[in-house]
Formats: sequence, structure tokens, C-alpha cells
Amino acid sequence: MTKQDIVQFLKAQLGKGYLRHSEPIPGQVWVEIRPEATVQAVELLHRQTDARYLMSVGSDERELKDRFGVYHLFTFDQQHFFVTLDVSADPKKPRLPSITPVIAGANWSEREIRDLLGVEFDGHPDPRRLVLSDDWPQGVHPLRRDFDYSAKPPSKPENAYPFKDNPPGTTVVAMGPYFPVFEEATYFRLYVEGEQVVDVDYRGFYAHRGIEKLGDASLTYNQIPFIAERICGICGFVHNVSFCKLVEHASGITVPRRADYIRVIMLELERIHSHALWLGVAGHIIGFDTVLMQTWRMREPIMWLCEKLTGNRKTYGMNLIGGVRRDIPKALVPEIRKKIQAMDKEWRAVLDAVKDDTTLRMRLEKVGILTKDQCHEWAAVGPVARAADLPMDARKDHPYCAYDAVDFKVITADSNDVWGRTIVRILETIESFKIVYQSLDALMELPEGDIITEIREDIPAGRIAISAVEAPRGEDVHFLLTGGDNRPYRWRVRCPTYPNLPTVQVMVKGEQVADVPIILGSIDPCFSCTERMEVCDVSTGSIKVYSQEELFNWTKNRRERFETV
Amino acid sequence: MFRIVATIGILLFLSPLIEGILRKFKALVHSRIGPPLLQPYWDILKLLGKDDVRSPHSLLGPLPAWLSLAALLAAGLLVPLGTTAAIAGGDLFLFLYLVGFASVCTMLAGMDSGSPYAFLGMGREMMTSFVVEPVLFIALITAALKSHSFRFADMAFFQQVSGTSVSMIISGAALLLALQAQLSKLPFDIPEAEGELMGGVFAEMSGPTFAMYRWGFIVKQVVFALILTQIFFPWPLGLTGAWAVAAQVVKVLLVAVLVGLVDAVNPRLRIDQAIGYYFGVILMALVGLVFALVGA
Repeated sequence: MTKQDIVQFLKAQLGKGYLRHSEPIPGQVWVEIRPEATVQAVELLHRQTDARYLMSVGSDERELKDRFGVYHLFTFDQQHFFVTLDVSADPKKPRLPSITPVIAGANWSEREIRDLLGVEFDGHPDPRRLVLSDDWPQGVHPLRRDFDYSAKPPSKPENAYPFKDNPPGTTVVAMGPYFPVFEEATYFRLYVEGEQVVDVDYRGFYAHRGIEKLGDASLTYNQIPFIAERICGICGFVHNVSFCKLVEHASGITVPRRADYIRVIMLELERIHSHALWLGVAGHIIGFDTVLMQTWRMREPIMWLCEKLTGNRKTYGMNLIGGVRRDIPKALVPEIRKKIQAMDKEWRAVLDAVKDDTTLRMRLEKVGILTKDQCHEWAAVGPVARAADLPMDARKDHPYCAYDAVDFKVITADSNDVWGRTIVRILETIESFKIVYQSLDALMELPEGDIITEIREDIPAGRIAISAVEAPRGEDVHFLLTGGDNRPYRWRVRCPTYPNLPTVQVMVKGEQVADVPIILGSIDPCFSCTERMEVCDVSTGSIKVYSQEELFNWTKNRRERFETV
Repeated sequence: MFRIVATIGILLFLSPLIEGILRKFKALVHSRIGPPLLQPYWDILKLLGKDDVRSPHSLLGPLPAWLSLAALLAAGLLVPLGTTAAIAGGDLFLFLYLVGFASVCTMLAGMDSGSPYAFLGMGREMMTSFVVEPVLFIALITAALKSHSFRFADMAFFQQVSGTSVSMIISGAALLLALQAQLSKLPFDIPEAEGELMGGVFAEMSGPTFAMYRWGFIVKQVVFALILTQIFFPWPLGLTGAWAVAAQVVKVLLVAVLVGLVDAVNPRLRIDQAIGYYFGVILMALVGLVFALVGA
């Protein structure tokens, strides 16, 4: 189905419910519909076309169009375009029909919109709080435009979170909020009978940072890439690229080819280190510390390499809108190639060791099953979906940077289990090595120094952009509605853990307690992404240790410098 | 009396060194430098100096911990160390009771703490005991049948005098396989399972109480390695005095390293998988027993 076919199909089926369509940016189709037609439209896209649900975005547009806008985003992977259903809600009493009964994966998006913007969704099966903390007062919605980003409403500690009741004959085993194998705060409440998990409840978002609010209310386009990179400590560069792509789409500028390749190299280095990290953590979760120690040892030279290329092991700060901050000199290329080749060789040895390990297979095979249909239903992404034989990969489906020019395979497996996800990740890393080699070749050919296109004009208000970047954990989607004051009107981040985490509830039911940590681990959860929190760390220099105060002052001065550029 | 004190001293104060070597070895497999050789001593000392934080539901307090260590030390007295045991008349039933008592103490402590993790860990400990203790029992009975005596001294002497036999080799191998679970090492550290149960029965333990358990485990490791090497693998034969002691130390180290190697290269199994595996080991031990009954 082409873009026109989809539009015609919706127009014909929805009748009066259909309002208009447009294509503000090539490949991003915008369809406005009436609220009453939402469920029908979503059902049509979800069940009768190749559309895959991405997320729903809520936006307080009372100043602009006297409405709350809710956008349901879909992607057509094989046809390489996005379709957005645009629904308006009443500014006084925002109520819309819920699409969660049709697409289970919309559960979190709708609850988040309800928490942060106060749009109610009729027919939502689980209208409990998702994002806001338990002591946050009722009826205060922080993402509304009239809520100041630094406001602190009074705490209401009396609101306890309404967890599900124990199913009869079960006891509660709490995994979280702090649990040894989860590196971050999350709470899985397991209802168990003996060793078997009967049901599970989830509470997370313990450390919501409000980064989107900062982006919409306090920072400028040029500053956001740096805070976007701090969304995640492992795949931060992905968020950075996603955001830069948004602004580049919205302003219509072209990034120099050399910068594209540098971004690809950094993205792939990030994937390599992240998959090595994941394999180690997965090993640790099931008590296989030799895997942890060996993969992390291999990962270390990659971290040093990143430090050499960008000045930092992680959180590279490499991206600027329109290009990159630092060039990779041709003189460094042979050294990078050597480091990658060394890891490549060791990684293949890891693959051989892992794939024939009987005890490992006993623990990972037929555990944490998520089938193709369930993936579609829950909008799962990344290795979780690829292990269910869904060949989705934003690098192929919506090529960005230089991915249209490099040759690589999308790795899939058909076992639907933790084992499949493990193998997909290990093989994917080998593909990443290949991509890095090709990009290095390209760097040798392109002239040095041409790494940034500067934006000369202001970006007009009201433009809309979507970008998808393949993170190690799956596809990372950002949404932007530009504002007039050199910052987004609404910036929404959907990291890959956001759709994948709810699938854990499906995967652990009926499994044993012993399998729960590795099932959760198999999605490679990254809670800080989900929660978009800023961690303020004291940066340790080799000679000087900065205090928090000093860092704060330092960043304040930096901001002034950015604004004058 | 002197022998008893000396044996207890050796078990208490030399076993941590074996643990230290084991940790160094594991670090080698991991490409790590590893903790200092004497770290297990510092760990125990550190724990002994800490406050004993206890669950308010606890009725038994630190009692099971102390009893468990005491039982393991008493069991150690029955096992031949060097050429003779500290208590020469000790037989296998007393040994099994003492070892069983120690694991009952661990389970009691798990139940006593009132923590759901400890409770699950206790259940797993019990299930593991059900399948692992029979292996020890059957293997020792086989040795008893062969040597026509329930006393360890006679069992240890048997192969030295009458040479080896099929049944003893099979039983020894079964016991070796069971050792991994007896000592709560991977892939069978299921009752503790740091990943999902945060230490299981030990989730709520701290300070001196926890030190007793850790120490008990370290002693248990040596006691079981001694049983295995003394009764089932007594070679090289005919050593006396210092040579016998040296050989024994080397053998205990070998067993410890073997257990450590298996521990380092395996992930943790699930309890159902482990039980399935140990049914196989029980069968194997039974085969050894049948061989012994027919005189092989």
C-alpha cells in the first residue's frame, strides 16, 4: 500500500469521521480525524494494513488551536513512511476514546497523557497512575503549558498506589523498587504460587526527570541535544541523533556526508559496547559471571576508543544540530580499525562458546515467550521483535545518517524466547563491526573538516517532525512540534524500553520465579530512558574534583556561550 | 583431647585459606586479579565486628547459625584427617545426622526471618536436600558395604588394603557430582540465587550470625572434600606423616579447584532442572550400590 492508498482507504472507510490529510515532511503523512472515529481508524490501520503502532503523543495546544492534540503514530516499515492520526480533545473537558482495547501497546502512552496533560481516555482498561508519583496531587498536570517547569505542588502522601489484589492462594514476592540484578529503580510485584508466577503488577517511573518539560519550557534547540544525550547512560547518543534529526527535518537542512558517517560510527560503537554490556549483564543475572567478566573486558577497549574519539567514554557530546562537533581525522582510522578487528575476533569466539553451551541453553530456551502476534499487539521493538521473526530495524525501514549507503543484514530469529534475543544481539554486533569498517572506508575518501551545516534562519513555529533511530534496544522514536521561541512546543521521546517493558507482564505469567530476572533482562531494559531523568553526577577530573555547585555554575556559563553562537 | 582441639583449629583457621585460593582461581578464569588470598579471613572478621541486625519476627535469633557451625565442626571431627580421625569411633550415621542437622538449621533460619525471599530460598534448600542428601547416604552405604563397617576409619582403610572396585569408583563419582550442590556452588546455588532471591535464606542475615554461616560453608567445603578424597579416592597409598598431610592438602585443593571451575563456567539452573539432574545422580549412586551388593 502506498501513502495515497492509505489515505484513500481511511477516507473511504471513515466517511464523516475523516477530516483532512497533509504531508508536512516527505514520508510523514498526517491524517486529521474526528474523535468518534479514533477507535475505528486505529482498528483499520492495526488490523487491515501493515501499520505498526509506535506511540501516542499528547500536546497542550490550547494557546495555538484551542484544543488538546493527541497524535497516534504508526509506521509502515516496508514502505518507509509514517502515518499520524491527529485527534482533537475539548480544551475544557478533554475526553477521548481509548485505543488500548484495540492495541495493548497504547496502554502506557494513554496513561502518560492522562497523567501529564489530564486528557481522560474512555474505556481504558487500567486507568491507574503511570508517571506521576504517588504523592502528586490529583488534577495537577505538569506537562500543561500553564504549569511552570520549576513549580512544586504540595505533597499528598496519603495516596497509596492501588496495586492489584492477590489472586487467591498466592503470595507476593517483590522484585524492586531496588533489586540486585536491576541496576535501576523499578518494581515488579510478583504473585507467586510456590515457584510459579501467577500474575504480576508493575510500578515504575520512580525517578521521572521531566526532561521533555525542560525541552518545551526552558532549553533551546541547540541545548537540547546535550540533555537528550543524558536521557540514557548507555544509548544516549541515539537520543541525541534522534533529536538532531528532528530539528534537521523540521528546518530542512542537509547534514554533510562526513558527519553522517561519523554519526554512524558513533552509533555503531554504542551498539557494540551496549550489546557487550548486555551479554555480560545477562550472564550475571543467571549467575554466569565468567561471561560478565570476559565480555566487559572486551568492551573496555571500545570505551577507551570512544574516549579518544569524543573526549568521553560515554555521553559523547559529539552531536550538534546540522552535524558533529569533532571530526575523526584520517590518521586515526587505522587505529580504530585495529581496535574493532581485535574485538571482532574475540566476539566471534564468544559466539562459538555461547551457542554450544548446554546449561546456558537450558536456562534461556523456551523462556519468556513473546510471539509475533503478541509483539504486534504490544508494539514491541528491537531484538525482542526480531527474535519473533519480525525483521524491523529503523536503519533499514527509515534510513537516516549514512545507513542507506552501508551494507548490513537485519538479524532475526524465530524462537520467540530469551535465547533468540541473545543470539540476535550477538550476531547484530558482528553486523555492527561490518558497518564500522565500511564507514571508516568512507571517511578515508571524504574530505576532512566538512562536518557541520549551520542553520542560518529561525525554525518556524508549528512544524512537525518524527524521527526513528535504531538504538541497541530497539527503535527510538522522537516527535517534535516546533514552537516559536527557538525551542520545541512539544518534544516527545519514546525510547525502546517504553513499549518493551509492558511485554514483561505477558512474558513472566506462568513462568518460574527464577526466570523472571532473565526475562526482564532479555528486553535489555533501560529505566532511565523510560523515566527521562537527569542524573547530576560529580565529574571527576584527573586532578580536580568538581563540586555540584561548581558544575552548576559552569553549565550556567556554558549556556550563555551557546546562546551567543 | 588435643587431636579434637587441633582438628577444630585446622578446620576453622585453615579452611578460609582454601576459600581464598578458590577465589583467586575463579578470578583467573574471569581475567580478574581477584581479592587478596587472605580475604575470606578479613570477611569473617569484618562480619564478626558488625551489628547483628535481625528481623523483628525472629524467634530463634542467632541460635541456628551457631548450631549449624557447631554441627559442621563436629562432623569434621569424624572425618579422617591425615591418617586417623579426631574421634576414631565416628560412624557414617552420626556424620549424616550432623550434616543434616546443619542444613535443617539453615532452613530454620530462613523460616525464622519471615522474609519471602528467605522463605522461597528455604523451600529450594529443602528440595535440594531431598535429592542431594540421598546421594551422600547411598555412596557412604556402598563404602560401608564394601568395608563391612560403618566407621569412617575402616572405610578409609578399605581401598588401601583391598584395592579399588567398580562400586567405589561409581559412588565416588556420584558424590563428586553431588558436591556442587552440597556446597551451594553454581550451577546449583539455587537456594541463595543472588539474582532472584537476593541470597535466599541469608537475605535477612547480617553481622556475626551471617559470619557463622559463611564460616560454616567454608568448613563444610573442606569436610566434604576430605570425605570424598579419604574414602573414595585414597591414592597415593602408603604415605605417612608429613607426606600424608601434604598429599591430603593437595587433594582437597584439587577438589576445591574442580568445584570452583564448574562454578565459574556454568549459569545457575532452575530448581526443577536441578532436581531432574540429581535424580540422575541418585540413580548413578544406586547403580554403585547394586554393584557393591553383587560384590563388584
